[in-house]
Amino acid sequence: MRRGVYPFTAIVGQEDMKLALILNVINPSLGGVLIKGEKGTAKSTAVRALADLLPAMEGVKKCSFRCDPKDIHHMCEACLQKNKGEVLASQSVKMKVVELPVSATEDRVVGTLDIEHAIKCGEKKFEPGILAQANRNILYVDEINLLDDHVVDVLLDAAAMGVNTVEREGVSYSHPARFILVGTMNPEEGDIRPQLLDRFALSVTVTGEHQPEQRVEVIKRRLTYEQDSDAFSSQYQQEQEELGKAIMQARQLLPKVTIADELLILVANMAIKLEVDGHRADITVIKAALTLAAFDGRNCARADDIKAAAKLALPHRMRRRPFEEGVLNWETVEALFQEQ
Amino acid sequence: MSKPSFFPFVAVVGQEDVKEALLIALTNPQAGGVLVVGEKGTAKSSLVRALAQVIPNKKIIDLPLNATEDMVFGHIDLEHAVLRGEKMFSPGILGRVHEQVLYVDEINLLRQEIVASILNTADRGVNAVEREGISYQHEAKFTLIGTMNPEEGSLTSSVLDRFGMFASVSQEMDCEARIEIMRRVLAYEQNPELFCQQYQGATDELISSLQAARKLLGVITVSNAMIELTAQYCTKANVAGHRAEIFLIEAAKAIAALAGRDYLLPADMERAAFFILPHRMRKEESQPLEPEEQEENQTDDQIDEQNDDQNNDQDNDNNENQPPDNLPSDSSPDSQDENDSERDESEEQSQEQPEPNHNNDQEAISEIDTAYSNAKMAVTLPKDRQVRQSSGKRSLTRTNLHQGRYVRSCIPKGKLTDLAFDATLRAAAPYQRLREKGNCCMSIKQEDLRQKVREKRIGNTFLFVVDASGSMGARERMRAVKGAIFSMLQDAYQKRDQVGLIAFRRQTAEVLLPVTRSVDLAQKCLQQLPTGGKTPLAEGLATAFSVLTTMGKKERQMQPIIVLITDGRTNRSDDAIGDALKMAEKIQLSGCSSVVIDTETDFIKLGIARSVAQKMGATYYHLQELTGQKILHVVQNMQ
Repeated sequence: MRRGVYPFTAIVGQEDMKLALILNVINPSLGGVLIKGEKGTAKSTAVRALADLLPAMEGVKKCSFRCDPKDIHHMCEACLQKNKGEVLASQSVKMKVVELPVSATEDRVVGTLDIEHAIKCGEKKFEPGILAQANRNILYVDEINLLDDHVVDVLLDAAAMGVNTVEREGVSYSHPARFILVGTMNPEEGDIRPQLLDRFALSVTVTGEHQPEQRVEVIKRRLTYEQDSDAFSSQYQQEQEELGKAIMQARQLLPKVTIADELLILVANMAIKLEVDGHRADITVIKAALTLAAFDGRNCARADDIKAAAKLALPHRMRRRPFEEGVLNWETVEALFQEQ
Repeated sequence: MSKPSFFPFVAVVGQEDVKEALLIALTNPQAGGVLVVGEKGTAKSSLVRALAQVIPNKKIIDLPLNATEDMVFGHIDLEHAVLRGEKMFSPGILGRVHEQVLYVDEINLLRQEIVASILNTADRGVNAVEREGISYQHEAKFTLIGTMNPEEGSLTSSVLDRFGMFASVSQEMDCEARIEIMRRVLAYEQNPELFCQQYQGATDELISSLQAARKLLGVITVSNAMIELTAQYCTKANVAGHRAEIFLIEAAKAIAALAGRDYLLPADMERAAFFILPHRMRKEESQPLEPEEQEENQTDDQIDEQNDDQNNDQDNDNNENQPPDNLPSDSSPDSQDENDSERDESEEQSQEQPEPNHNNDQEAISEIDTAYSNAKMAVTLPKDRQVRQSSGKRSLTRTNLHQGRYVRSCIPKGKLTDLAFDATLRAAAPYQRLREKGNCCMSIKQEDLRQKVREKRIGNTFLFVVDASGSMGARERMRAVKGAIFSMLQDAYQKRDQVGLIAFRRQTAEVLLPVTRSVDLAQKCLQQLPTGGKTPLAEGLATAFSVLTTMGKKERQMQPIIVLITDGRTNRSDDAIGDALKMAEKIQLSGCSSVVIDTETDFIKLGIARSVAQKMGATYYHLQELTGQKILHVVQNMQ
């Protein structure tokens, strides 16, 4: 029996986190989100609920990577071969949340030799790992800061390229691994390597709600949900559907969203002023702004989209100075907007 | 896997140096590979992957970080062995790279032994395999391209020396260029095919000019004068060995060929030197100049250099000796401008007088690649070598836990704990025809079993014991102390060390930060460190001792190191000093390494810190003689 998932729209507060997650499903090329915060702030709940929200997508039948039958650029080799001769049979698949546990070993992450097949048939066969499962899905890494260094290395590799190349234990294989990377961390338990940090498009900090009424609301909803999850879910049915529809509409609108040149200049200036590392920051801000505009149903991005995008995309990219925290100086950003 | 359409090479904005280095390497594989160094998000990987389009008849083969040794070098063919009972060689990655391009992303994160073997193969052009009962050789002439982010650690100088060329990327600081980058990336993501089509013309041009250059390369003759010039460059740069000369000539040939000439100009050589020499310069420091040579070159810069040589690795160039606080801000936009002017200067000079000017050259190099990344390389280079020589603990350690990266297999000694399936199967494969197999296709016997060898990065544990008493409170002194600790923390991050912080003041010592891997947290802790009160030195040491003993019980692999920073002014009774000395002795007996950094600056020196250091068996340094650079050195020397 499949356990019901707590509805996304029933999560109280945590607006930043919810927005960041929604932006990523609208635009999977954005590049993931890092959620920083204490325990028990609905991080995992939100991520699982998110996947539930989305309508099913097309995937090639029996393909372990759920290739998109229409996207020949990101197909696995088997599907590509088949695609030449025949029309690929497809089935609808739901976006899943694939979890990468902190204790995962490298061979399970990247995939390895299929032992059973080797012993039974004396042949080498690739056994897909977590990165294969994560293709076109959400890869969720709880406590990403505690992940072993060498697992982080392979994760970086795959996240950067959208391809997982395996050269180990007698197998040589490569397959698409395009996923939405969602990581959570509790900053008190250690930091995360800057290189990995930079790969996350957005970052949000979550805290527990401090308003007593809000806290009460959280408890109430949770209790009702646990009493009768079906009844609870059906209460939110309509809201859920609306949000799902809005996301799909935004996806369609996204390629048509344009941005004015002044805004590009603004972003470039912002990046230079704030001395962020590399160019990912600028690109991410723009992409997030376009996505925000699409989510709002507009086909033109505005300055306030940029501002909202900067709030999500810049904090974790601030260059760290000795004895200074890498904090985003929001006043600098505001000043830049004033100049506009 | 379908070939994803990569961002076109010609559409990458700026980064001209890297582009040129890559094209040289493709034109003439003899010029050695390219090492591309730069911060994250500066299109390093994009550039290399984009190369695939401009070399239609070659492939770019990736070496992923997860590669195991057998897959890199080749192994026994499992299927063939099972079916025929014969040993046959199945080529690994190196078997596929002949006449192709091998690309290693994040090469500094790959295991050093693999990197060394690959470079060795590239050098010889032959991959010789002696493993799993197979002896095999095959040709492997390829162009090696590596990218790395210096923040994540460095390569040893011997590895660096094998790379023909060095190019560093930096981000564009020009607003217009940044906007252009955004525009192009957005356009590309919206419609990759259309975008690539737009640049198809430029790409085709580049392809044909590359082909023309490759043809031209064969007819370029190198005059004796040019060879002499090369030798001059290399002697002036004090490069070890003769690799540089060869690379220099080959790179210069490629530059001339790319320019459509069939003869060499001194300018080609100059440009080639810009790529070939920077990462080899360091080498000179460990090899003292010949006395005659010293007398010959008595220019100011040269004297500086002599000093360096005499001090061997201990001292680095003055211009690298900046306090760590300056490092990150160094890559400011104006350094770019300086570079250009610097380069112009050196070009002008070379036109006036054909004799290459080494000093100018070196200057130009340290600046052009933006001081930041280059300085970092310089900082870390000698360090890594040192560590290796002493104990190697700080990089990688074999681990018998089921953790870490599976690198290769071995025949188990004693009880098998971690079965290496692939190696076991390969070991059993040749005998399958002879064995009873039941329902399976493979029969495995005791003697086939292989054990996984795993490796894990093991860092040291640094426990900073900081005197936070009132006497340290003089603001400047504490600032210097914090600066010194910070530079050590930066090093600790790269080496994945653990750090802890204990401060002692007033009556007690306090564990401000229990030993953690979060260098960040240590930094914050340090920043907020208050000062005031007396100096309970003995208590500080006792706390450190107890922290380390409990740690030692939990994790034996950790090598604890105490860094005591104090002025030794334990302004209490004589007893306090005695206690401190007793404690110090206890620490020494526990076999823990330590460093004492004395901050006493008063006119009358009591020298307590020095005697504590003696008792602890610690390396003693005075804060004043320590710049960020030297402290790093202290850290390594201890073991």
